[in-house]
Amino acid sequence: MLSKSQAKAFFVVGTTAFSLIFIGLTIDTFQRIPEQTNQKEMTLDVVRGKHLFDKSNCMGCHTILGEGAYYAPELTKVFERRGEVFIKEILKAPQSMYPGQRKMTKYNFNEQEINDLTAFLRWIGTLDLNGFPPEPDLVKSASPTAIGSTTMEDTIVNSKNRPTVFNQMCVACHSLGGQGGQVGPALDSIGSTRDIIYLTKWLKDPMQIKSNSAMPKLPLSEEDIIELAAFLSKLKGGEK
Amino acid sequence: MKYSSQRVAYWFFAVCMLLFSLQLVYGFILGFAHMGYDGLHELIPFNVARSTHTNLLVMWLLSGFMGAAYYIVPEEADREIISVRWAYIQLIAFVVVGVTAIIGFHFQWWEGRKFLEIPRPLDYLVVVDVLLFIGLIGGTIWKGKRYTTTSIVLFFGLLTAALLYLPGMIETDHQTHDSYWRWWVVHLWVEGVWELIMGAIMSFLLIKLTGVDREIIEKWLYIIVGFTFLSGILGTGHHYYYIGTPKYWLMIGGIFSALEPIAFFGMAIYAIAMAKKGGKNPTNKTALLWTLGTAIMSFVGAGLLGFAHTLPQVNMYTHGTLVTAMHGHLAFWGAYACLILAIITYSMPLLTGRKLQDSSINIFAFWTSNIGMVSMTVAFGIAGIAQVYLERKMGLDFLHVQKEIEIHFFGLVLAASLFTMGIVAFVYNFVRFGSPVGRLNEVE
Repeated sequence: MLSKSQAKAFFVVGTTAFSLIFIGLTIDTFQRIPEQTNQKEMTLDVVRGKHLFDKSNCMGCHTILGEGAYYAPELTKVFERRGEVFIKEILKAPQSMYPGQRKMTKYNFNEQEINDLTAFLRWIGTLDLNGFPPEPDLVKSASPTAIGSTTMEDTIVNSKNRPTVFNQMCVACHSLGGQGGQVGPALDSIGSTRDIIYLTKWLKDPMQIKSNSAMPKLPLSEEDIIELAAFLSKLKGGEK
Repeated sequence: MKYSSQRVAYWFFAVCMLLFSLQLVYGFILGFAHMGYDGLHELIPFNVARSTHTNLLVMWLLSGFMGAAYYIVPEEADREIISVRWAYIQLIAFVVVGVTAIIGFHFQWWEGRKFLEIPRPLDYLVVVDVLLFIGLIGGTIWKGKRYTTTSIVLFFGLLTAALLYLPGMIETDHQTHDSYWRWWVVHLWVEGVWELIMGAIMSFLLIKLTGVDREIIEKWLYIIVGFTFLSGILGTGHHYYYIGTPKYWLMIGGIFSALEPIAFFGMAIYAIAMAKKGGKNPTNKTALLWTLGTAIMSFVGAGLLGFAHTLPQVNMYTHGTLVTAMHGHLAFWGAYACLILAIITYSMPLLTGRKLQDSSINIFAFWTSNIGMVSMTVAFGIAGIAQVYLERKMGLDFLHVQKEIEIHFFGLVLAASLFTMGIVAFVYNFVRFGSPVGRLNEVE
């Protein structure tokens, strides 16, 4: 059996050796980070966005690179998932997008701060994270609304029939073909009860039609509304 | 208790009791928010409650370590603390900085970096305060009549803990660098140098409570902390899987974190073996109970449950989910919270001269809090695994999944209520002990 001095030697030598290896690996890692993290695109607005992200303690609810709290969605791929318009809208009015759901703190960000945060979130989505976040692998037609990216070409969600704005914004609250949020009603057969004119008016401002509507007025362009109304009016159920 | 300056420890322990109680309140705020009851949102949003909850934990554990050091070191070094007055100043400064930080969080004065939310100006004050503490402890050991392995390991643990606070203060614009250095603090604390502190406090408790020869206990202390560093240092790699760092961390982190349970297993076996070996009937059975609780719960919480999601293949799916919260709660409870409750239970009868350590209230506190915490871990585990499958595997929407798992938070809050009953009993017993007026040279 070891004597006490041998035990001490084991502790001292082991600790020193592994500390040195760790420091060596740290030096090597820092040399590789610029390439792996697309550092050339880490512009000034990205940096400002990162500091604002910290200052607002976004990590106190969200995770980013899988780190943070588990109260609000993972943000690493949020730019790809929700798109710029949605992100800017929710940063401007944090409680506008998910009526009756978990609340985000109202930060009263100004225009530039919103742009900086968006730039940061765009950049963070371009990092090589060794495969994180993973694609949902139990369903073939997994929704991009979860955590993954939108690279699955063959899914319904990404079928050419669907406008991009639908896949980024509408699915945050509504589902189609079982994929998407559960905040608002499913849209599978919306076209059988509402026509294109009604849908156009509704998308312009839901409150104009139904004053107590929970749905917010979305930041949609004229073209978006035309495209969406045409798409929605064709949904007569059975879209699977 | 041999030296009057050991009484300083009492006040550190009192601070522990206060901050720990407050931590539970914030835990309930978080639990209820996850259940859908976020009525306090305007006043205390989730991120405020969350930062407060975790930082209170860090603060009361540090206060406990400091108290333990002030109690243990005079006895090990065979002399009074070099300056009792400065020890009290150090305590007051610590509390002032801590309370300022907590209040600051409620006004969004923070850094927003998980576990290290304390704003930069206060960081400097923390450093000054800890340097003062290290000076007092180091000076006492230096001037003492004897050097023991226990006090040296304790001092080395406290010193490296203080040094490792510094990487967290490195200014950076890069998210990956930020994360990288943050884990130097957080990981190398809890899975590294804090285990030295833990090992030293445990060895002190085992020497006192079991009567086993110091040489044997301290030899095993070296072996166990040796294993801790062997696995723990490169085990930091399990935080470097998915943050924009090279792929080799998947292998290094995977292998070395798989070895991490060995140190905890060793610690558990060692504590149980020493307790069995010591034929001496301890005068403080409950302190021994808490010591064994530490050894076993840290093995389960930090060792086993940590291993359960540390391999890269698993962590790919569990990273950033409630599975982490499951492991975190039992690990901190087992490794550090139980340990501090053990040293408090051990020292209180000696500090106050009242023998309430084996009271039924304290025994109730031990069992209720442990059963409560294990139940909380189960609730977190079920919620976490459900989240992993629904969100990460099936691709359901985040908020949809959160709705589905709300019910498990009801379970969590029930379990947490049981846990709280145990802690309330412990705090009540602490108060019953009264003020530190224990006689010196009392036989232990």
